[in-house]
Amino acid sequence: MATTIAIDASGDGTLTQRSAFWLFMRRKSTIGVLMVLPLLAIIAGLVAYPAGYSMFLSTLNKAETKFVGFANYLFLFKRETFWMVVQQSIIFALVAVVGKAFIGFVAAHAVNTIPTKGQRKWRGMMLIPWVIPPALSTLGWWWLFEPTYSAINWVLAEIGVDAIPWLSDTFWARFSVILVNIWIGAPFFLIMYLAALKSIPEELYEAAAIDGANAWQRLYHITLPMMRNIIAITVLFSIIVTFANFDIVRVLTQGGPRDSTHLFATYAFRVGIESNDIPLGASVSLFMFPVLAVLAFLILRNVRKRAMEL
Amino acid sequence: MATAVAEASVGAGLRASLTRNRRWALIASYASLIVFVIFFLFPPYYMLITSLKTNKEIAELSTNPWIIEKGITFQHYFSLLMDTGFPIYFRNTIIVTICVVAITMVVSILAAYALSRLKFWGAGVLATGVFLTYLVPDSLLFIPLFEIVGALGLLDTYWVLVLVYPTLTVPFCTWIMIGYFSSIPKELDEAALIDGANHMQMLIKVFVPVALPGIIAAMIFAFTVSWASFLYPLAYIFTEDQMVLTVGTVTTLIKGDVFHWGGLMAGALLAAAPPVIIYAFLMDYYIAGLTSGATKG
Amino acid sequence: MALTKQTRRRFLKGAAATAAFTATAPYIKTAYSAGTLSLGLWDHWVPGANDVMERICVDWGKANNVDVHVDFITSIGNKLLLTAQAETRAETGHDVYCVPLWLVSMFRDSLVPLDDVVQEIESRHGKLVPSAWFLGNIDGVWRGAPAPTGSLSYANVSRADLYLDHAGIDLKAIFPANGDRDPALVDSWTYDAFLEAAEKLHAAGHPFGAAIAPAPDASAWLSTLFTAYGVKLVDESGDITVDSDETREVLDYLSRLTQFMDPGVYAWDDAGNNRWLISGTGSAIFNPPSAWAVAKRDNPDVAQHVWHHDAPRGPAGRYRAATPFFWGAWQFSPNVSAAKDLFLHVASPEVVTEMLQASQGFDLPLVEAYYESNDIWSTATPPDGVLYNYPIRGDEVQSVAGYPAPPEIASAIATQGVFPNLVARVTQGGDSFDDAIGWAENELEGLMRG
Repeated sequence: MATTIAIDASGDGTLTQRSAFWLFMRRKSTIGVLMVLPLLAIIAGLVAYPAGYSMFLSTLNKAETKFVGFANYLFLFKRETFWMVVQQSIIFALVAVVGKAFIGFVAAHAVNTIPTKGQRKWRGMMLIPWVIPPALSTLGWWWLFEPTYSAINWVLAEIGVDAIPWLSDTFWARFSVILVNIWIGAPFFLIMYLAALKSIPEELYEAAAIDGANAWQRLYHITLPMMRNIIAITVLFSIIVTFANFDIVRVLTQGGPRDSTHLFATYAFRVGIESNDIPLGASVSLFMFPVLAVLAFLILRNVRKRAMEL
Repeated sequence: MATAVAEASVGAGLRASLTRNRRWALIASYASLIVFVIFFLFPPYYMLITSLKTNKEIAELSTNPWIIEKGITFQHYFSLLMDTGFPIYFRNTIIVTICVVAITMVVSILAAYALSRLKFWGAGVLATGVFLTYLVPDSLLFIPLFEIVGALGLLDTYWVLVLVYPTLTVPFCTWIMIGYFSSIPKELDEAALIDGANHMQMLIKVFVPVALPGIIAAMIFAFTVSWASFLYPLAYIFTEDQMVLTVGTVTTLIKGDVFHWGGLMAGALLAAAPPVIIYAFLMDYYIAGLTSGATKG
Repeated sequence: MALTKQTRRRFLKGAAATAAFTATAPYIKTAYSAGTLSLGLWDHWVPGANDVMERICVDWGKANNVDVHVDFITSIGNKLLLTAQAETRAETGHDVYCVPLWLVSMFRDSLVPLDDVVQEIESRHGKLVPSAWFLGNIDGVWRGAPAPTGSLSYANVSRADLYLDHAGIDLKAIFPANGDRDPALVDSWTYDAFLEAAEKLHAAGHPFGAAIAPAPDASAWLSTLFTAYGVKLVDESGDITVDSDETREVLDYLSRLTQFMDPGVYAWDDAGNNRWLISGTGSAIFNPPSAWAVAKRDNPDVAQHVWHHDAPRGPAGRYRAATPFFWGAWQFSPNVSAAKDLFLHVASPEVVTEMLQASQGFDLPLVEAYYESNDIWSTATPPDGVLYNYPIRGDEVQSVAGYPAPPEIASAIATQGVFPNLVARVTQGGDSFDDAIGWAENELEGLMRG
């Protein structure tokens, strides 16, 4: 940085070192502000303002005619269904992300092990779920689960297993929405981990093999530490997206049976739009923030730490 | 290093055991890959099969649902392309996606350059702010946005999607680009500045070419998001000639309590085709760009 | 913004009323009207019905010098409701909007009063059906005019052959396709008889099926059953009355009935029962004629044995769930007077009859007198007379999920799925009656928010 300034200043002989420095700083910051202006406009106008407006809405009564403060939140605290939504959102996000991370990790390992020649083909096939628009692929899943026509149950019947109530039983419905989420999201983990695996120097493994390390030891002492960063980042990002999921539950179960599969977003839609209680819907949505804020803190700490490492 | 020494001393016995381990690893890998590929591909396979069945066979309970027993029909594809607004949805989606990708890239490249290279007052806070934007879910925003969209006169035009999709794409893309630009050595800027380049020239002539893999990754991300988004078009678009693929396919082919399964599946597969093609060609860039953005950010 | 909604209301009632009563004269552009009218109408599932609807509206526009534009909006994914939310919040969009069932009550503050129009319709064509009064007339003010399409009811749709073979009940004899009913036979069609038949049909591999899930169909059929047993979740004055012997009785009935139903019903959407019947497995459902119509296309062997008929009778009477559709005019519309003219036009017998033909009898008119003047339901086939009893012909009383609670609460009862949830807690979740009723009380209390 210092060199840059010196060079720039020396290029302009009529100015003193000092005033040239300030001029340069001003120019640089002006340009900087101009360059981020579009971003600022998008964030301020289309995210911050509506988010603030949502917060305002959440403080009104149902007819939006009266300020009620925190009454909507206090109301939610007393509702059994709301706590079920909180519980289900957390279960959904955690189980789905762990599932995605696990499948992604194992699949990435498997692809990395086979000869390079065939890797693209396998990788390409496994990426397909990630590429189909989720709202549409979820419809396909729904048709697989549909109680009367379920093609999965047809297979189970062929091998003599009882039909599984995929969407009608609370346990299986929760299982199903998580399964579909894993199906859609795991390929993303796969490619992230695959790239990370490729960046681990081969010599590390060779050295470990010579030292007599078995496969588990190599995994534990080399692979996992080398991939720590990327695992952390993908998991945290995925939790954010999974937590806010809307499409899958909306298409697959609409929150049923007995509200057991509702997530924050679908429940907010149910009370806000469908029951015409927009302030309450906004309050439900805003409940995602505390959880997400914790995640944001973790990610930011992580990012900063890595920035310092650089 | 130690490797060479060890290899020399231990010799052939070790190599044999490595080969044996390698064989087992290969078998395990192929076995698990086959399991995963079945898991990942059986739903699309079933969608394809359904889209080629006659309505009568779809409604049939006695046949094997996994194969076509009563003759293949392309009827669902024909009627999708001829009798419905599907081609219009396709066109609209392409227009929206191209605009969104273009806007996203311009905004996020400019911002990322400023945030990673021009250390102006508030840059750090802003970088954090961009990050936090990613936490705000669209399900919270779409109701207040009604009023903004209405005031701008954009309700029920696909331009509203061009306006709001960047809120979904820009934060993440900016983040990828910040990561990528940070990994470019500072010596490059200095050299360019000596040559008298201004910041805009430097960005276009130096940063963009160097960060091309990251840019492609970000573009694919923006493409995927705007191609697949569901809630915003569901909320803002209701005219047939403004509709996009995701919502249009569902709303055209589900009538009251009647589902046109064959057509729905055909529509889903056709809608998935462009992303599949793009990924097939550009996936290596995508992987390289995403991971360097994530690891070096 | 929303806080000032009340003050921004435009009271066009005086001017608009004048226009409404000159409907037969050529439409005269007022200062308000830009001569255009855009309609957001319900996307009809019957192929071709939309085209007829659009033609009727556009032709009317041409005759009255109004430029009419029609959009058809699906009710799938609650898009019709979502779009209504969008338009009322954005204060822009269509002039005329289709507001079925609860939407009139939900958007009462955004809909123009239509007392003049509806009174004129009633004086010209006769009284509207009771469900239309309950849903369209909010606090004494009409906010919706009868829509020419969409209104439906949930008939008992059965496989007459299976009932005859396995349960020994001849539904075609009880509910013949003509006016000659035998009251004694009709009286024998009770929920107890229904349960008995359900057991036999279940044993024969053809169970009864109806959704007990968060779908409108579920609230519809369950609410009629509850009403037939004299249960009110919330009464007229807004008091929670779910904790009653009647509720326990109906829950007891349902825990027996559900033993003979497919476990999949807890996940059915509105199409679940259609597929159930069309597949040939199901013996009975509660539905408008859409299941039969699709069966005609996809499984004619099933379709030719289908029969639409009255619901069973319970201790407190015989009820049929109805879903009336209305058209309303948004208050932000600059052309309310033209909208009112159109409402009058589409309520005429000619338009309703034309739409009935186009929808193959799916749409039920909201003017009572129209049932007698149309033969579409007597002529539908196969089998002959399949739809004769789709309009109410006997002692059935129309009901709406949540009735008779005040509309605000009743609509929440329906949209939040209180009925299916309460039932599933007992029949699927294994809750005791008291626990389930306790849950319902808590839930209903939550719906009372002002």
